Amino acid sequence: MRNKYFRFLKKPELQGIQSMIMAVFSVISFSLLLILGFVMYGRFSASARQEIISGTQKLIEQAGENLEDYLVSMRRVSDSIYYNVIKENDFSRQSQDIQQGMNLLYAANRENLRSIAVYNEYGSLLAAEPVVLQKEDPNITKQGWYEKALEEMENMHFSTPHIQNLFDDGALRYYWVISLSRVVELTDNGVPRSGVLLVDMDYSGIERMMKQINESGNGQYFYLCDSNGQIIYHTRQIQISNGIGSENSGQAARYKDGVYDEYFEGERRKVIVNTISYTGWKLVGVIPYSAFTYGMFNLRYFFGIFMLFMAMMLAFVNRIVSVRISSPILKLNASVVGYEAGETPEIYIGGSREIRHLGYSIQTSYEQIDKLMKEIVREQNERRKSELDALQSQINPHFLYNTLDSIIWMVEDERNEEASFMISELARLFRISLSKGRTIITIKDELQHAKSYMNIQKIRYKNAFSMEFDIDPAILSCCTVKLILQPILENAINYGVAGLEDAGEIRITGRLEKGMVLLSVKDNGMGMTREAASLVLTESTRKQRHGSGVGLVNVDKRIRILFGKEYGLTVVSEPDEGTEVTIRIPAVAFTEENRKVLEKGNLPGRQGTEKVPEKGDLPGRQELGDEGS
Amino acid sequence: MKDHKKIFILVESILAVMLIGLVIRMFWEKSGESRYKIAVIIQNSDSSQWASFKYGLKMAAEDQNIELSVVSTGGTFTLEEEQDLLEAEISNGADALIVQPVPGREAEEMLRKMEKKVPVMLAVCAASRETEDSTLPVTGPDNYAIGKSLAEELWKDYGGNIEGKFFGIIAGEDGSQALASRERGLREVLESRGAKIRWSVSGVHAEDWEQSLKSLSKVEVVVALDDRSLAAAGKSSAANDLHGALVYGIGNSTEAVYYLDTDRVQCLIVPDGFHMGYQSLTELAENLGRYFHQIQSQEVSYTVLRREDLFTEKNQELLFTMSQ
Repeated sequence: MRNKYFRFLKKPELQGIQSMIMAVFSVISFSLLLILGFVMYGRFSASARQEIISGTQKLIEQAGENLEDYLVSMRRVSDSIYYNVIKENDFSRQSQDIQQGMNLLYAANRENLRSIAVYNEYGSLLAAEPVVLQKEDPNITKQGWYEKALEEMENMHFSTPHIQNLFDDGALRYYWVISLSRVVELTDNGVPRSGVLLVDMDYSGIERMMKQINESGNGQYFYLCDSNGQIIYHTRQIQISNGIGSENSGQAARYKDGVYDEYFEGERRKVIVNTISYTGWKLVGVIPYSAFTYGMFNLRYFFGIFMLFMAMMLAFVNRIVSVRISSPILKLNASVVGYEAGETPEIYIGGSREIRHLGYSIQTSYEQIDKLMKEIVREQNERRKSELDALQSQINPHFLYNTLDSIIWMVEDERNEEASFMISELARLFRISLSKGRTIITIKDELQHAKSYMNIQKIRYKNAFSMEFDIDPAILSCCTVKLILQPILENAINYGVAGLEDAGEIRITGRLEKGMVLLSVKDNGMGMTREAASLVLTESTRKQRHGSGVGLVNVDKRIRILFGKEYGLTVVSEPDEGTEVTIRIPAVAFTEENRKVLEKGNLPGRQGTEKVPEKGDLPGRQELGDEGS
Repeated sequence: MKDHKKIFILVESILAVMLIGLVIRMFWEKSGESRYKIAVIIQNSDSSQWASFKYGLKMAAEDQNIELSVVSTGGTFTLEEEQDLLEAEISNGADALIVQPVPGREAEEMLRKMEKKVPVMLAVCAASRETEDSTLPVTGPDNYAIGKSLAEELWKDYGGNIEGKFFGIIAGEDGSQALASRERGLREVLESRGAKIRWSVSGVHAEDWEQSLKSLSKVEVVVALDDRSLAAAGKSSAANDLHGALVYGIGNSTEAVYYLDTDRVQCLIVPDGFHMGYQSLTELAENLGRYFHQIQSQEVSYTVLRREDLFTEKNQELLFTMSQ
């Protein structure tokens, strides 16, 4: 079950170099692009957000100043009426002047004013502008603006917006006003009294100002509330009072001027507060976080398009780069694959310096391998041929005929002992020749084979020469290729001592030297020049004489094939002095294991190597016992 | 190698399609920031009785981001005229309609046909006099309850004894289902408590009311069932043309309030025009914005105004909406 779900986690198959480069480049570049994109978007959106906030702050400051100017102008109207009209005149005696003064000020501020009125301490109307009918029993002393004025007599008071309930102008309408009220000292019939001056500002003036700054349409809005959080203007004023909407004006009224983060009604928003001096009113700008994103839709699209375009470009560039990098490697790989399949004869060499070098190296390696392979094949062929030659040499009909003829002659002459010796030597010769089909035998057997041969030849040549064996017993149990002495002895007899009348001498020595076994056959025959001696072991000089079949070249080749090129024969000869042929083979102790290794063409312990180590280093080598020749 | 090329082309194609899609969407949003449009057809739309209703519509349109179009109508209209107006508004791109229906079954049929084209919300009352026949959603007050409430106020003012008192009922010229319901509610209470309805007048043109009221026989109370007739009664009362009759009524204009304020009207019941406008448009906007939203009828409240509590904070807001 687990495997079923985690199968995809298995190690993926090895991908090609191009796809790896492409994948790595793509992952890195797309990651960088994403990081860059998000960082840039973050920076842009933060700066745009800051821009909106600072813009709103400026707007709110400007609007606050306008509002303050408006309220200051209203206070000036109130001050002017109080100090220039009310204080300067007596209400009973100079009512005309008072009315005229009020009229002038009303006319000058008609756009912003609804009415101006002066009430005495009992709430009775003393003067009003414009002159209209007062409602029946408006209950002045219970109206909020009147009560507030009396509460703090030294101050002017701005009310919250309300319906004016004072006059009946016959228009069947009701006016929404903000009342500015203050206690005034007035003179009535020479008697100083107190009263209340009321300046009713038309709410539409403030409404107009607020509407002007509330036209952004992106979700941000501004509202005005008093110091208790009671709303003076709000775009959703009726909704709020009816419970359809809500506003955090209570909290805003407690804020000092500045920018605040707020979470209200499930929405995060920035609140910018500006206090209107004297009144304590708060002009509040609200920027819901959705308003920030409103202006950022285009920015988001721009970044989206930019990112996609960059991704396309990066994919394209990555593709080109990966192709450029991987193409020579892929071509090299294809040529190697083709070469291995035997299709393309040449290795691709191109691309960057490193790839070219690699191509050259591979090509050289292949050439060398090819050369070595050919050489191995040739050596194997030669080996088979030399083995065949050796096999053929085992049965030399001429030698056998002569030997048997000699035996017959001895039997007829009743030299039975000699005949018997001859037959037994011949039998020994053939036994060792066969050696159960083995190529490697001990030196002891090889020497025995040489002795048997020489004994037979001595009888045949009627003791025309003498022979001497001088063998180090240490080498007797070493390995050798079989039948390597017999051809040399045959040559020594035929070309060395056969022509001599007497005193022909053949000396066979064997010794161990520097890890090598040296077997030498030395005769005191006619010898030959140094040039002739140097050509004895070359292929071109090979001549078959007296039908012996196997020459020195064959012996040399067999040794080299089996033991390596540093082994083989050396021929030293001087005219009229004689000739010495030396066999050099590695000193390898004869064991069944070593024999098998050698017969495969390798040296024991160093298979495939051609160099023979020093004495005592070879595995399988052992000290040879003393055996006589 | 070929596979790599295929994957590369596939990736590039996907990115290109996304890029093109984004560009198209950006230009689409830039060019087509379209808002839903809702048309409003009410009789005598410039009359002050609709001020709070239109203010409610305006506020809702701002809240819901709807393009609002209130068709200017100088007076009452016939069924054919209303049909022409509706079709004109639909052809002008209105996505929904708020309609004060012409009374009658034919109007109901016509509006049902219109509803198949665009969502329709009726204002104030249904077209058919039998409420149960109407399948169209209505945003308005419970007119029957208003009639009853007015009668209850009357009954209270008379100290719980109106037996043998004579009442006159006046209503506007449209003869709508709203007026019928109000009258039914009023009559039920008054008659059940022994009052006599001496006359009931309706269908009088606004300019003829003064003369008409003067000519009617004396009653103790004149009950006006709609704003226009109440304004006429208030005016007649101010001119002392009502033979000393007291005026009670239903209205939602500043004129009606003024006559209450000047003691020409004893009691005024004001249906909440602001909510009527706000809720009708909000309901339609939600239907346009949400596919599975079924338009529901919306009932709005009403306020009983007396002269002595006319300027309370709550009632000042009512006056504020009427003064817009």
